[in-house]
Amino acid sequence: MSETKEAAIDLGRGGVEVELRGLSRYFKETTALKSLSMRAQPGELVVLLGPSGCGKTTALRMLAGLDAPDEGNILIGGKDVTSLPAAKRNIGMVFQSYSLFPNMTTRENVEFGLRVRGQKAKERSERSKEMLSLVGLTSMADRFPHQLSGGQQQRVALARALAIKPQLLLLDEPLSALDAKVRAQLREEIRRIQLELGITTFFVTHDQEEALALADRIAVMHQGRLEQLDTPLAVYSSPATEFVAEFVGTVNRLRGVVVDTGTVDVEMVGKVAYRSGPALSPGTRVQVLIRPESLGVTPASQEGSEVLSRSFLGASTKLSVRNPSGDAIVVEVSVAEAAGVADSAAVQLFARGEALLVRPALP
Amino acid sequence: MATVTPDLQRAGGGGSNVLRLGKPFRYSVLTLVGAFFIIPILASARFSFLGNNNSFTFSAYTQLFGTPQFWSTLWLSVKVGVGTVALTLALLIPTVIFVHVRLPRLRRLFESVSLLPLVIPSVVVTLGVITSFRNLPNIIYGTPVILALEYVVLALPYSYRTFDSAVQSIDLKTLVDAGQSLGAGWIKLLRFAILPNLRSGLLGASILTFAFCLGEFAVASLLSFTTFPVFLVQVGRLEASQAVALSLIALIFTWIPLALVMIVFSQRRGGRRGAGVEAAIESAVAE
Ligand SMILES: Nc1ncnc2c1ncn2[C@@H]1O[C@H](COP(=O)(O)OP(=O)(O)O)[C@@H](O)[C@H]1O
Ligand SMILES: [Mg+2]
Repeated sequence: MSETKEAAIDLGRGGVEVELRGLSRYFKETTALKSLSMRAQPGELVVLLGPSGCGKTTALRMLAGLDAPDEGNILIGGKDVTSLPAAKRNIGMVFQSYSLFPNMTTRENVEFGLRVRGQKAKERSERSKEMLSLVGLTSMADRFPHQLSGGQQQRVALARALAIKPQLLLLDEPLSALDAKVRAQLREEIRRIQLELGITTFFVTHDQEEALALADRIAVMHQGRLEQLDTPLAVYSSPATEFVAEFVGTVNRLRGVVVDTGTVDVEMVGKVAYRSGPALSPGTRVQVLIRPESLGVTPASQEGSEVLSRSFLGASTKLSVRNPSGDAIVVEVSVAEAAGVADSAAVQLFARGEALLVRPALP
Repeated sequence: MATVTPDLQRAGGGGSNVLRLGKPFRYSVLTLVGAFFIIPILASARFSFLGNNNSFTFSAYTQLFGTPQFWSTLWLSVKVGVGTVALTLALLIPTVIFVHVRLPRLRRLFESVSLLPLVIPSVVVTLGVITSFRNLPNIIYGTPVILALEYVVLALPYSYRTFDSAVQSIDLKTLVDAGQSLGAGWIKLLRFAILPNLRSGLLGASILTFAFCLGEFAVASLLSFTTFPVFLVQVGRLEASQAVALSLIALIFTWIPLALVMIVFSQRRGGRRGAGVEAAIESAVAE
């Protein structure tokens, strides 16, 4: 697993630093988390990304104080809060399922955290107005949760979480119950608000597109462990592990042979450059992981690979190509390049980018 | 099938066979069931107003109201009922909520245990409770308090299930998590964010428990408490028309509060509820 890289620059956004030190959590049959360590810079938005069951919610609940780690510590703003109960942490949390109190209006929900703190009615109502205008729901102040759409409910939940001026914001798949359009829109809005307030934020999702779009850095998790913590670009273009390469984006697995350090000869593609992976001696048979957009196609005269099908994506076209061994290879190319090859026609594949990873082939 | 009441099929979403049989059938079933309940009540009412030579008279009622024991046993039953409801809620609220939040896997087990009083003969339960509380001071043992303790256990199958399914119908765990992360301790959380959403469950459990207390005879009589139902049986041995009048009164005493409570609670939805929460939280913060 890769070293936890620190963001090189101070984001200059205010907010507190948050550190997880060797967090583990064991349930009867499962290890939900295994020595999870990472650090979020002040004001940073870290996305915890991973498949269902990899421990994202568990990690978030520990940050919130709703669950306690079996091992490890949590530091918020340099202070060890591991044994501090949730109610004393001053952390805002938005949940995956709708969590508004059904007996309270939007306004009352937003003010709830302030009421339990004993704030005066006037301050509370000022704050709730401010928060509701931040999430664009001023006109819904007197509605009950059952009178709001799913997206509106999650906005209110966000306003409620932010009303207490939390030092840390936690979002556990807040968009997963919403339809695609609302999801994309609310995602942008969450990012805008987060930047505006400069609040350190952990955002949990299993959707890689969401993670790439939102994050300052992505923490890719797998079976309770951290696989990689890096910027979206780095996670996508230099995945630390095969798991990361597979989970973030699409990859092709192709057969090849090492030519020298930094070059492999890939079957039916030709020479491809690579950077990461173990040192391998020339002649080693390898498996090469390469992204669809790192491949290209040209029409070929003799028999070889052939185009099986295509799907038009708007700005590009995705081709499904079969090589002579029968493997399906996904290629994403410009619309013009795709127009140059016909369906069922013979094509030659070539590399236009680097391979992600190279590893010795299984015997 | 295809010819029968298409409107019903649409409305009922294809529903059950009973629905498809159509309105006439439903009304006749309803009428039959209604008749099954109402005819005996009407017959009793008629009997209780029957004087000598089939004349109409209130004498059964006037005599009853003139009996001091009528008022004292009724008062005893109401006290025991209220006490039982209070004890039941004090036991149920924390238990059920704890089970749902911390031991969700044991929910079924707890529910089964709550049903035990239905399968264990009530005499056994009675003796069990008495034995458990034998060493307690006399304030409990030998006073109607022991009866309330008995009733808490005996009514548990009704009260527990009612409250448990109300809790099941809300996403309790998430609401608790949300409330705690917003800084609320358990008291404020329960009072303002959880219990108001469980109103119907609390109400249902209370009504069932109270009605149980107002109708229970065997245990009260076994423990030699002359509660309202015990009095009813005693009167019945001597004077049939008074006993019938008495059971009608008992029925009305159970129904009136029930109806009142239903009306009050069905009107509380929406409207002024928000203001109620606001005032309640305000006063709690001031405390
Ligand atoms: N309260 C619990 N009891 C037992 N197992 C749990 C509990 N909470 C989580 N787990 C297990 O821990 C693992 C991680 O769960 P979770 O953190 O919810 O994953 P994610 O949010 O990434 O989907 C899962 O295998 C889950 O079954
Ligand atoms: Mg989860």
